[in-house]
This record gives sequence, structure tokens and C-alpha cells, in this order.
Amino acid sequence: MKLGRKSSLFVLISTLLFSTITQAQEVFRARLSPMPTTPQTVATILGEGEVILTLNGNSLNVEGSFEGMSSAATGAHIHNGPPALPGPVIHALEVTQATGGSVVGELTLTEEQVEALHNNEFYIQIHSESNPPGELRGWVFLRSHFDN
Amino acid sequence: MHFNLLEKKSYLVLSGFLILGLSACGGERTTPEPIVAAAPEVESALSFENQATAGADSYATNCAACHGANLEGSTLGPLLSGFSFIQRWGTQTPALLLGNIQSNMPPGGNENISDEDFLSIVAHILSVNGVDSISNALTASSDFEIADNISRIIAQRQRPEPPAPQGLTVAGNTEEFVEFIPLTQEMLRDPDPADWPMHRRNFYGHSYSPLDQINTENVKNLSLEWVWNMHEGDSEPAPLVYNGIIYLINPGNVIQALDAESGELIWEHWTGPANRQDMRNIAMYDDKIIQATTDARLVALDARTGEQVWETVVADNTKGFANSSGPIVADGKVIQGLAGCARYIPEDCYISAYDADNGELLWQFVTIAKVGELGGDTWGGLDNIFRAGGETWITGSYDPDLNLTYWGTAQQKPWVPVSRHMTIFDVGLYTNATVAVDTESGVLDWYFQHVPAEALDLDEVFERVLVNRGDDKFVYSIGKHGILWKNDRVTGEFRGFQETVFQNAFTHIDPETGAVTYREDIQNAQLNEWTSACPSSAGGKDWHSMTYHPPSGLIVAPLSQTCLENAAREVALVQGGGGLAASRKFFEMPGTNGNLGKVGAYHADTLEEVWSFQQRASLHTGTISTGGDLVFVGDLDRRFKAFDVNSGDVLWETRLGTSVQGHPVSFAVNGKQYIAVTAALGGTSPRTVPGVIATEITYPRWGNAIYVFSLPDE
Repeated sequence: MKLGRKSSLFVLISTLLFSTITQAQEVFRARLSPMPTTPQTVATILGEGEVILTLNGNSLNVEGSFEGMSSAATGAHIHNGPPALPGPVIHALEVTQATGGSVVGELTLTEEQVEALHNNEFYIQIHSESNPPGELRGWVFLRSHFDN
Repeated sequence: MHFNLLEKKSYLVLSGFLILGLSACGGERTTPEPIVAAAPEVESALSFENQATAGADSYATNCAACHGANLEGSTLGPLLSGFSFIQRWGTQTPALLLGNIQSNMPPGGNENISDEDFLSIVAHILSVNGVDSISNALTASSDFEIADNISRIIAQRQRPEPPAPQGLTVAGNTEEFVEFIPLTQEMLRDPDPADWPMHRRNFYGHSYSPLDQINTENVKNLSLEWVWNMHEGDSEPAPLVYNGIIYLINPGNVIQALDAESGELIWEHWTGPANRQDMRNIAMYDDKIIQATTDARLVALDARTGEQVWETVVADNTKGFANSSGPIVADGKVIQGLAGCARYIPEDCYISAYDADNGELLWQFVTIAKVGELGGDTWGGLDNIFRAGGETWITGSYDPDLNLTYWGTAQQKPWVPVSRHMTIFDVGLYTNATVAVDTESGVLDWYFQHVPAEALDLDEVFERVLVNRGDDKFVYSIGKHGILWKNDRVTGEFRGFQETVFQNAFTHIDPETGAVTYREDIQNAQLNEWTSACPSSAGGKDWHSMTYHPPSGLIVAPLSQTCLENAAREVALVQGGGGLAASRKFFEMPGTNGNLGKVGAYHADTLEEVWSFQQRASLHTGTISTGGDLVFVGDLDRRFKAFDVNSGDVLWETRLGTSVQGHPVSFAVNGKQYIAVTAALGGTSPRTVPGVIATEITYPRWGNAIYVFSLPDE
């Protein structure tokens, strides 16, 4: 079936609008799981969580929850590091000072950071009283990555 | 990189010398290897008794989580007491045991454990094992033989159980069930569809049964036909089925013959040692069942009666040599690998061949190039005695047309270049490679080193699957890096690769040559420096063999998704030392949503992933495929599943008594098709890594058994 000129224009505008909205609403996700552990530490590095990150232009909204840590959270950050490789902190997040709760943040990314986000080079880490180097950690991927 | 060594005989060690020695050990073991680390002398007025008392506390803090509060072992670590410990360590010294523990334990790091603590832990272990005739505190150089200091009373007290049986314990004859027909080379070359007469069913290692009675339409009706409880212990069994009889390897070197239709026990043979250790597979040829033992012997039993026919020693178990996998019989030759080769001793690992009729040694191919040999200059100038590793702990494959046997070799030892006093450029031939060896002569025909100078305990040792596509002959393999390698099996030339799980050990894999480039921080890793990498030592793939499904051209592999942090420990270049020497921590693989298990299907031509299935529980059996277009696999969470080989859809699943572990098989008796699988415990990294990541998955710590399924009779 051939589309008429008006129909083609409508499709083009719709596509552009949809693309803009889609671009403005990119949704990412991180699964939080225990930091590297051993049989000796498996009972003291605990918990899990999920964080949803919504990118609007350069604005990144972070909302997540966690539970089951071995001790109260003391801080949370977004770090810049490719999958499975530790990297520097780029932004602090607000976190409930308990073994479970929420982790939230609102930040503006640089162009380089937006690119890093798209390259799966962000991760979120929650620190706790008994695990100051970190107890939960999760790399950020497009939410659709987890659909498969 | 590969190299053709046709006609080069310098690697052939053709000999008939006798190698003596018995004791116990496993394949990919975390069981202590003797290592002498740089441990200082500790001047102390402590008595041995006081030291042992203090050691009990240190042991409880640092060791009990894996080895049990009473040294009884657990799924995370081997037992450290009783007969098997004394068998392994009785002829060794406290100094060697100390060096071993200090270099390798605890696996997560030993920064907070003092030299005094380590000595105390050794004293505690020795005390629990009955060492009672010394009074002075141990030092780092205590060099008495451990067994010489256990009094008879204490020794008897720690071994209250009657001696384990030896030899034939249940007498019977398969001919009371079915007429015996000798299994010939030609029958092995093209197995009867009803049989699964060797590990992975055919010489090519396809793990494929052409039987199609159970198919995608009716598999939902699959039901339990019978179940047989096996002996307890570590177990990753691969049953054989020939002419209606199941030959089943149990832990502790016990073989049973069962009527495949009814589950009736026909005979049982305890070859020993009765140590609860794991042997994956056995072989059959002519009228014999041929088993490798955990203490590195080969024993042939009469397939009809279980009576022993011949026995030979593969390697000296007192020097640490062991086996965890059995042989392949190629053209009447029993070809056997070897494990436990991490020590700094003059002897190295080899593949060896024996006459199936009488066990006579025919040839050995040593997997480590010595000074002056071709490839001998790839070990950083180390003396021969300090060249370790190159184990062949997974059974090879065989091409009867090319008369070549294909084996994977493990990596150099210790695990990290800096620990072995080498650099990333000291590639260490012929480790972490595919080696193609002439079955007639034992001469190396070609090799392809997949990951030279391996640096993270990610060996490329697993099964080689041989596939013909048109006129082309290929060999496929997946090592712990999770990379599916495709090589020409005539020449060894690289033909392609596919990353089946996420890996970040390499920044580049050359698409033309297959040459890998390690990440810079891995290349330069120093002692006690943590390096993060994926996959972990549980492997993107491990010992669980993959299947090739000829009708679809798909290779379907059981994969694993975890990562590790690794830190090298110091190992002194001391004769008798060596070992593994790294601290390790484990974590979920990013982007997997916490799914440790993955079944991946890849086309043999393009290597493209056709489908995949992911789940939380790690997979603990090999995959098999059938003419009914099914793939079967089992997992840690006790589930045994059937997939549609073309779509990856789960068509059937059931839940067994404990973790489903081993190698499924399919066979037919009187025209009826069966699927059999084992539930089992034990195992090293593939079991311990999920044990610290997927802690919510629970299963009974007993329950080894074989389950046999079929369709209900109409």
C-alpha cells in the first residue's frame, strides 16, 4: 500500500514527535546485589535492590529501593566505571539510613556522562556501617536490556 | 596462534617405565596443593597443645564457613579430617601444609591472618586428625612426617568406621539379563541409536542421541520410570548405556551395573580408594569397563561381572597427581588425561595411552615444553622443575579418520603470572590450548593456544566437539572465558569466535587470528593487587559439556554468568612448592539481572546466537540433544528441563531430590526411549561461586541418585 502525501507527512511528524518523547524518556535500570564476596563474608555482605533512572535530555532522575543489608546505609553514589570495573564517584545520592529504604537523586549530566550512561558505564553503590567500601552495587543498563 | 608439529617427535615420551604410588585427590580441586610460601620462623614458647587450642578459634573464624566446624567439609570446601586427609597429607610435613594454606586460603584473602594464626590453624588441623606425639609448638620449618606422629589409639578413635569394602561387593552377570555382545571400534564409531556407549556418546563429543520417540509434542508427558540412590560424595557422573545395561560411576571409585529397564542392580565393584571423591566418567571397550581412579590409576573390569581384569598406574598420586575424569578408548587405546600438576616437581602432566587389552603403556605426551624443546623458551627461562600446570582434567575427543585425539589443556600454575615469576609474555606452551595428538604415536600434530599466559584461573580445558560441515572439519570449544572457539581440526587454524557471555578480560580478540589482548591492568597485576574481571573462575562455561545437534546445526551450551576479583599471592620457587595462589571474591555479572544460568544456542556455521534462556539458578549438567528436537539440562535448584532445540522454549520440567548434576543420557530398551539424569553434590568453582552469590537457593546436602524418565505406556 502506498501512502498519500498527507499521510506521509503525518507519519513523519508522528515519528519525529515519538522519537523526541522517547529520547526524552529513556529509562534505565540497575539491579543492586552484594559487593564481591567470599564464603567468609557471605553472611555480612547482604541485600538487594532496584533503581530506575530516567533520562530527560541531560537531567537524570534516580529512584530506587533496597532491603536486607547487614547494617544501616551510610551513603550512596553513582560511579563511573564500565561493567564490573570500579571507577570514581560522579554524584552522591540520598539514601535511607537503614538496612532498607530508598535511594534517590536528581542530577544533571555532562555530554560525556550521558555517553557513559549509554555505554553502561554507570553503577550505583550503597555503603553501610559494617561495609564502608560498599555493600550493594549494580550497573546501569537500559531497562529494555533486561527484557530478554 | 597455532603450530603444526606433524612428524616432530621431540614431544613424544614413549616409555614403559613404571610409575608407582597411591593416594587421593581430584581434578579441578581446591584441595590443598603443597606450597612453600615465604613464611618466617616463629620463635615461641608455646606447646603444640596450646597452639592447637588457639588454632581452634582461628579456624572457626577463618576456615569453618567452608570446611565445617569439625573439619567435616561442606559444599563450599573439602573435608580436612579423617582417612582422606591422612591419605593426602600423612606423608607430608607441617611446613608444606602451612605453605599450602598460607598461599591459597582463605580464598577471599588472608590480610588479617598472622603467621602465628596460620601456624595455630595447622596445629588445630593436625590435632583434630590425631597428631598427638609431639609437644613442641610447630614452626614454619617443622618437617616431620605427619602420619608418624599419630598414635594408634588416636588413629583408631578417628576411624571408628569399619574399613571400606574392596573389590566386587555385589556379584552378578549382565548375561542373566541380556546376551553380551562385545563393543567394537566400529560400534563405537557409529553407536547404535539405542546406546550411549561412551562419555558424550560418540567420538566427536556431540552428546546427541538420534532417538526421537520423545519429542517436542509429547515431552510434556515425560514421567519418572525409576530412581536409584547412589553412594554419597562429590559426583558429576556421566552414565554409560550399552545393550540395555547402565554402567554408573559413583563417588569413591565405585562402579555399578544396572538393568536399564528395571533399575535392578546387577553388580557393584569398589575399586577404591573409598574417599567420596568425584570421577566424572568411565569408558567401555570390547568386554571391559575402564575406569580412571581418583588416585591416578586405570582399572579394567569385566563388563559382564564387574571382576577386575587389569590395573595400571597412570601417575604417582603421592606427588599430587590425580584424576577426576576418565578415558576415551580410541582404536583399542585407552587415552587418559591427568590432573594435580600444580607442584614444583620434576614430573609434569601428560596425556597417556594404554593397550585396552592389558593396560600396557603405549605413549605419553607431556603438556609442558621443557628447556631445549620446541616451545621450551616460552616459560620465562624458568627451570623445568618450576613449570607447572597444563592439566588435562576433561576427557578428549577423537577423529578416527584423521587418527587424532583432541584435548584441552589447563593453564599454567600458579594462576597469576607474577605468582609464577613470569610475565604476560611468557605464554607457557602447551597450556590453555587445544592439542591434537596422533593416537598411534602420541606425537603432537598441532596446537592452538586460546589464551596464552592465562592470568585469572580461566582455563580452556573443556571438551572438544568435532563437527563436519560439508567437507570442512572443525573443532569447537568453550573455556572459562565463555568464548566459543572454532578451529580447523585438520590444521588447527583459527576459524572464528563468539562471546557467549559478557567478558572483559580481553580488550581485543583478533578476528583473523583469534589472538587475545588482555586488559592492561590484568597484564600488569602485581602481588596482592585486586583485579576485577568477568567471567569468574566458575567459568562462562565449565566441565558441563555442550551438545551439537546435527539436524539444526546448533551447538547448545550450558553457561554461567558470574564475575570475580582476583589478587595474586606470593609463591616461592622451592622444590615441592607451587600451587594456585590467589585470593578471590565473587559477584553477579553486570547486566544479567542476577541470572547465573544461561543456555545458549549457536549455529556451527555462523557462530551467531540463535536463542538463549537465562535463569537465576546455575546449570549443573551438561546439555544433551535428541532426534526429537529436544535439549535437556539440570540446575542447582533441583530442576531438570527440556527445551525445544529450535526455539529455546521450555517444554517440560520436573524437580528432583537435590541439585541436578552430571551428564544426562538418552537410550532405548526394547524399542522404548528413556532419558536419564543424575542428581549429585560436590564440585569446585561451579558450585562454590553460586553458593556465595545465589544464597537463597537451597537443596539437600545428600541425595546422589540417577533418575530415569520415559513416556507412559499407551
